Amino acid sequence: MTLILHLILRLALWLLLAPLLPGIINKVKAWVAGRRGPPVLQLYYDLAKLWKKSVVLSQLASPGFVIGPAVGWVALVGAALLMPLGPAGSALSFRGDVLLLIYLLALARFCTAWAAMETGSAFEGMGAAREVSYAVLAEAAIIAAVLSLIVHTGSVSLITMLAPSPGAGAALLAAGLFTVLLAENCRVPFDDPNTHLELTMIHEAMVLDHSGPPLAVILHGASVKLLLFAVLLVQAVLPIGEMTPPAAAGALAAGVLLVTISVGLVESLLARLAFRRVPLLLTTAFLLCVFALLVAWKGDAT
Amino acid sequence: MTPHLPLLAAAAAMVASLLVGRAAPRVWLATTLAGVTAALLAAVIVLTGGADWEWRSSFLLGGEPLHLRLDGLSAFFLVLLCVVGGAGSVYAREYWTDNAHPRSARAGRVWWSGMLFSLGLVLLASNGLHFLIVWELFTVCAYFLITLNRQRREVRAAGWLYIGASHAATLALFAFFTILAAHTGNWDLGPLREHPELAPLFWLVLFGFGLKAGLFPLHIWLPAAHANAPSHVSALLSGVTLKIGIYGLMRFSGWLPLPDGAGWVVAVLGVASAVLGVAFALGQHDLKRLLAYHSVENIGIILIGLGFALVAMQQGSPTWGRLALAGALLHVWNHGLFKALLFFGAGAVLHATGTREMSRLGGLWRTMPWTAGLFALGAAAISGLPPLNGFVSEWLVYLGLFDATLAHGPAACMAISAAILLGITGALALACFSKVCGVVFLGAPRSPAAARAHECGPAMRGSMLALGAACVAIGLAPVVFWPAVVRAMNVWNPAWAGTAAPVALTALGLFHVALALVALALAGWLWRRVRLGGLTRALTWDCGYALPTARMQYTAGSFAGIITGWFTWILRPERHQQLPDTCFPSTARHAEHTPETVLEKIVEPAALLVMRVSALVRSLQHGRLQAYLLYLLIGVAALSLLVLLGGAP
Repeated sequence: MTLILHLILRLALWLLLAPLLPGIINKVKAWVAGRRGPPVLQLYYDLAKLWKKSVVLSQLASPGFVIGPAVGWVALVGAALLMPLGPAGSALSFRGDVLLLIYLLALARFCTAWAAMETGSAFEGMGAAREVSYAVLAEAAIIAAVLSLIVHTGSVSLITMLAPSPGAGAALLAAGLFTVLLAENCRVPFDDPNTHLELTMIHEAMVLDHSGPPLAVILHGASVKLLLFAVLLVQAVLPIGEMTPPAAAGALAAGVLLVTISVGLVESLLARLAFRRVPLLLTTAFLLCVFALLVAWKGDAT
Repeated sequence: MTPHLPLLAAAAAMVASLLVGRAAPRVWLATTLAGVTAALLAAVIVLTGGADWEWRSSFLLGGEPLHLRLDGLSAFFLVLLCVVGGAGSVYAREYWTDNAHPRSARAGRVWWSGMLFSLGLVLLASNGLHFLIVWELFTVCAYFLITLNRQRREVRAAGWLYIGASHAATLALFAFFTILAAHTGNWDLGPLREHPELAPLFWLVLFGFGLKAGLFPLHIWLPAAHANAPSHVSALLSGVTLKIGIYGLMRFSGWLPLPDGAGWVVAVLGVASAVLGVAFALGQHDLKRLLAYHSVENIGIILIGLGFALVAMQQGSPTWGRLALAGALLHVWNHGLFKALLFFGAGAVLHATGTREMSRLGGLWRTMPWTAGLFALGAAAISGLPPLNGFVSEWLVYLGLFDATLAHGPAACMAISAAILLGITGALALACFSKVCGVVFLGAPRSPAAARAHECGPAMRGSMLALGAACVAIGLAPVVFWPAVVRAMNVWNPAWAGTAAPVALTALGLFHVALALVALALAGWLWRRVRLGGLTRALTWDCGYALPTARMQYTAGSFAGIITGWFTWILRPERHQQLPDTCFPSTARHAEHTPETVLEKIVEPAALLVMRVSALVRSLQHGRLQAYLLYLLIGVAALSLLVLLGGAP
């Protein structure tokens, strides 16, 4: 019974807090640009509005156009449930759960790409192609990051492997994972969530034809993914396992807020990269993670 | 219960199906299915705790007494043969009918039965000479199955390449078995660990069986053969016969003493096959050729597991070796299942549209919903996505690699790079199957043939459903299949005996079940919500353009373009383009084609060189008697000179 209660609480936390992050990012961007900007809770309003709307479907789309976002959302939320939350631990933990998390993200990607290809639009095909191609490099970086944590802590499950110690390794890992966060969540400099030109988009191009409840599910899933990466980044870098539970919870929240603000600042201060440079930046992120792995290896050997 | 009776029944049924194959298709199907079921029963008896089955007869074949053996490892592969063979027989009944193929359908049934029978015998044979005989028999059956449709030139070429490459493998195996027999004094096969001087024979085994398994760079015969064979044959070739190569590798790496570095070589070849297999797959435009390259990739994943298991065995550190080997073994089953499913799907598409060119397909979900759904299931499974079976075996291999990293032995550095490259392989496979599913089944039909497609009938659909169900079953309840893996593992290395399933595997299965249920429920609910909330159909958004055509869709080549761009160093794509040149351009065209680089850039030039040199030698023989007499005179003179000067005996 307590397990179910625990699960429901954790689920509620993830689902309710996730849409806050894009709101904070937009607020930071507005603040840097000297605008007032949309309210922090804007995504909640959007989701509520979208959920009530009816749907316009492309004539070519199959039921997979709607099933894809649903399955992708379930995969992302499942991945979020695997992620330990500081003092609260994780809902389900076993050896190798970190791989399940990585592959659940891949499942979500497959579903999004599937739904994008449904419409037969060249824009959406382009977006899907970019998404799955850049993910190859991002996945390599994530696995290198995971390996550095594994080598550092000697554990293969998330709950015990997220126990970093401060040092050069943590700094490298932070830089690498932050870049991967930007790429996987389609933020500047990899993708511009605000652009209106279909040719230059990745994620937004894939969801051009979605509307109503499926679009709400996609937007909400994307915010869960952003929160997931932020939580992963904070826990992979900050040694919150050594703090008292209230301090750890505070540190986790503050860390996630800091990551969100940094995303907003990056977005305000940097321009989007040309597409041919994107692999270069992702390879840099991969190398940063590999260096973190080497540091962990060296530190472990001595 | 002993497997004696079921095996006898299976043999009787297969002989019967061989006899009736030409005349009576229905009886053929019934006897084949009976044989397959009986053999499956025997394999299951052995795998679920029964003792090994062994049979020696005094009957001599080629001067050697018959000796058959069914142990855990051969039973493990026999299960795969029976499942894919049975599904393929049902599929073939509708796919390759007498009406549609009056020239070849009858012969095709007989060769099919012969192939299943000889593959089963390869798994059972425990005498080197008989192993070679049934090995050759199955190669010949496979050749005739590949060339069933031999009116077409490319089919004949593929068959020729197949039989040539297969005989290179057979030559290596022939050398291996004869050296082995010469050394041990008899042809009987069994554990030979106590003869360390036999270790170099492993390289012959690796070449012979590796070529049959299609590991990079020995895969040159594979894409053409698998693409041009009828689809049920492609499914059997890809799903089972490649695994027979893996069976040989596992069998003899478990029995023979190993040379130093054997595990490293296998693991490196595995990594190369995995990454390059999928890179070549991304460059293909032919649906079945693409699937064939994915076989190279999956064989690579199996070999990574096997290679690390060999390293672990040589280093005497069992924990991670067991995980890697378990992953490799389970991936043997998994790849057999989903690859057969995908080839059946590709066959249904080919049957309905008459083309394998992806650029002429599209929008097939509308007319072929079952095929599209089941192909998508197979695509998700082969991309290693949870909650399906492909993920379970890849997860085991990863865990083995992670534990090898943690062990901090000499294997750790290699394990780290293998894990990262395995991750890249997974992401590339996902990209490739997003492309295939999207281009073939979604969007608008790109040709009239694709628009007129029709769903396949109950037999083809049923066999695809059965394989899809098997994929889901292994994904949702991997623990159920664990004892079979352990049984095969204990045969490979008895020192690693152990039965307990890792606790994590149970947890993973439970998570998969929950994930599948929630995803199904939510998808149904969202679809209902969309239907009830009011649904309007409109044109796809194309920046306001009101007349989009099917040709404006993203193509397979463009979809893979970013990734194939990273791999041009090995893919060597050939571009033919005519750019628009004048102010009022009339025609412009662009075509891109990825050749089989290893074959066309390395093997063929090398073969050409050999042919040239041979032609030079051949000019000695020209039919002029005078010159021949001169050769004789020179020869005799040289000999006499040798005797005069050398003076020896």
